Amino acid sequence: MSDWEPKIVTFLCNWCSYGGADLAGVSRLQYPPNIRVIRVPCTGRMSPKFILAAFRHGADGVWVSGCHPGDCHYIAGNYYARRKFALLNNMIEYIGIEPGRLHFSWVSSAEATKFQEVVTKVTESVKALGPAQHYIKTEAKVA
Amino acid sequence: MSEKIIAKEQFLQALKQLSNQQAVYAPVNEGEFYNYKKLEDGVEPDFTFQNTRLSPKGLIQPQSERMFEYSLDPGDSEANVVKEIKRDYGPQAIVGIRPCDAKAIQLVKINFDTPEFRDPFWLKRYEASTLVGLACNDPCASCFCSTTGSGPFNEEGLDALMTDLGDSFLIKSLTEKGEAFLKTVGAGAKDAQAEDKRKKEELKGKAEEAIRSEVPTAKLREQDLNALFDAPFWEDVAFSCINCGTCTYLCPTCWCFDIQDEVNNLKGLRIRNWDACMFPLFTLHGSGHNPRDHKVQRVRQRFMHKLKYYVDKYNNGVACVGCGRCVQYCPVNIDIRKVFRYMNDYEAR
Amino acid sequence: MIDYVEKIREAARRLLSEGKVDVFIGFRKGTVPMMSEPALISDVSQVDDLWWDSNCGINLANYITKRTDRVGIVAKGCDSRNIVTHIVENQIKKEQLHIVGVPCRGMIDRRRIGSSVEGEILEVTEDASLVTVKSSNGQKAYDRNEFLQDNCSICIHRNPVIYDELVADPVPEQENVDRYEDIRKIEAMDPASKHEFFTKLIEPCIRCYACRNACPQCYCPTCFVDESTPQWVGKSLDPTDTMTFHFLRAYHLAGRCTDCGACERACPVSIKVRTFTKKLEKDALELFGWETGMSIDNRPPLDVYRPDDPNDFIK
Repeated sequence: MSDWEPKIVTFLCNWCSYGGADLAGVSRLQYPPNIRVIRVPCTGRMSPKFILAAFRHGADGVWVSGCHPGDCHYIAGNYYARRKFALLNNMIEYIGIEPGRLHFSWVSSAEATKFQEVVTKVTESVKALGPAQHYIKTEAKVA
Repeated sequence: MSEKIIAKEQFLQALKQLSNQQAVYAPVNEGEFYNYKKLEDGVEPDFTFQNTRLSPKGLIQPQSERMFEYSLDPGDSEANVVKEIKRDYGPQAIVGIRPCDAKAIQLVKINFDTPEFRDPFWLKRYEASTLVGLACNDPCASCFCSTTGSGPFNEEGLDALMTDLGDSFLIKSLTEKGEAFLKTVGAGAKDAQAEDKRKKEELKGKAEEAIRSEVPTAKLREQDLNALFDAPFWEDVAFSCINCGTCTYLCPTCWCFDIQDEVNNLKGLRIRNWDACMFPLFTLHGSGHNPRDHKVQRVRQRFMHKLKYYVDKYNNGVACVGCGRCVQYCPVNIDIRKVFRYMNDYEAR
Repeated sequence: MIDYVEKIREAARRLLSEGKVDVFIGFRKGTVPMMSEPALISDVSQVDDLWWDSNCGINLANYITKRTDRVGIVAKGCDSRNIVTHIVENQIKKEQLHIVGVPCRGMIDRRRIGSSVEGEILEVTEDASLVTVKSSNGQKAYDRNEFLQDNCSICIHRNPVIYDELVADPVPEQENVDRYEDIRKIEAMDPASKHEFFTKLIEPCIRCYACRNACPQCYCPTCFVDESTPQWVGKSLDPTDTMTFHFLRAYHLAGRCTDCGACERACPVSIKVRTFTKKLEKDALELFGWETGMSIDNRPPLDVYRPDDPNDFIK
């Protein structure tokens, strides 16, 4: 079990967080390789369906990162997203997915070091919880 | 064929023993309602029910049934081979099924056992089943089986019929399967005496009298199909319908299904699920056209199917056995008995 | 609330004969005990079909989305808040509606009565304070307040918030009601217990979608359940799929659910589906100070934002 590595599905907004991740890479900052990045135009594009789909496919953790409030490329996308995330975060915990599997952050395109810090924190948090156990759909469990 | 009488205690014990050797399904009290469950440790039968919430059709046509699977994994020695799901079609006894539900299985069989095609999944389960019915001494106020061609002590579709005589069951075998069941559980049973049979007849008479809910069916066949189709009462019948699947899923004679493939990485599975003609997507074509995209069309379709198309096609009565589940559990109280009256009594202007 | 019947009929008669509405939506008396059937009448001659009692728990606002005619409709407190939400969400215009408001004293829970009665229930009658049940075992009267639907017993908006006329004087609203006691109990569980709790809760689900279809706020032309490219949730009875359905349905109702209880009422296998929606209602209230459907001037909570929205959970 000690050599198990979590798979963390990561949604990064194109303008800020994805840029920040790029900058971290270009700057040769070392960070854990467990994230699987999906680029979205804006965190406002995020739907709970995406996050649930990630957990259903067996993701051990899910992380969504976007522009700081006030800095959204589309002006207010992340403001709307913030409200949705608050509700979703509570709801995911409510149905029994351990707190520490779903993470959110604001990382701007210049914050390469913050990206490195957050990805390390998220990976540690998910690794400590072990492999995902619940709400995974592999094969339909029916007659 | 024989008629035996067995004390309830003995019967329950014999049933428990049988459940250790093969699958036995019986009504089980789940708190607010009853459902058929497989008997095993901790799951006890309870025959003091009127009827189960879900009909026993799920024991022959499970709501979700895997059909076949395949793997594309190069490491799998059987990759690229479509394999039927291996499952145990061993004998299953369904004990305590009501006469209405048993007749319904015969109505459903007409679809799955045709001269052109015999559905292997449905028939394998059907042939593995022994249907031991329990006559209704105490019909519900919403039961209307007598006027749909069934009745509280009806024997159609059953391998054996039990009658509750108070502290014993009178079991009458009707087929070879029923006789075999009787032999297995009736080790301590005695031959039924004239007094027992007389008691059964008395209970039968009382039960048949207790069914007060009736539906008219005599004129359904002669009604002009197009006139019924265009009748003005459908808008009113359909207004409250919320197009859920409650009536369809609870109905013992509804059998429509949808087949879906589910793919997960390198593995795939084909599944058959119950479908409901009430759902908007039921008639959605691949082209995007939907001939029944309005609610009134779907509601009309369901009743026309059960009370007219089926009647015309098979000349075998209606595709409804009067179990009353849809009447009791439709969230908006659409009452099929009312629709029977509208359709049967309709006079086109 | 049996005394409302005449008032409702009188309103329908007046509205239809004066041509103020094209159709009137109310209830018909049920054909089985403790049920009622939503009905649409378009002519004065049908007015005597209309009925009202403590079994009118289905939400009539479910029937007005995208209608283009002028509609008279009977609405209790929760229904009226759904009508407000429909107006805000552009499903119908206020000008099309003539709302006959019903100050509601709560709907009876037919299942709890069923569980309390021995034998089969044959007839149920009611007056202002009692529900009298005639069964195959005899007759018994119950205090109606002991047998209200779960959502009615914690209701704090019994009186319609929007109406063109009321059939009676407003009833006093319940005070000091703890709406979220059961939710807090679940929140306090550890993750494994929560998972077990919800697995057990949805185990009887037969995916009939009665809960979704009875809900006035579920009106999407294509429900996420029917989306196939990609398919978010499978159609079979797989427990993860069933959980996904209930989770996403509740989430889609965030800030829109009025806790009318139609979903729980409709479920044929008695699942307490409000366990999902009430959590989102609680969060909408505690995080955004939001109460659904109180005024047509309020934008929904996910349609607006504030610079000081909760942010602590975000790194």
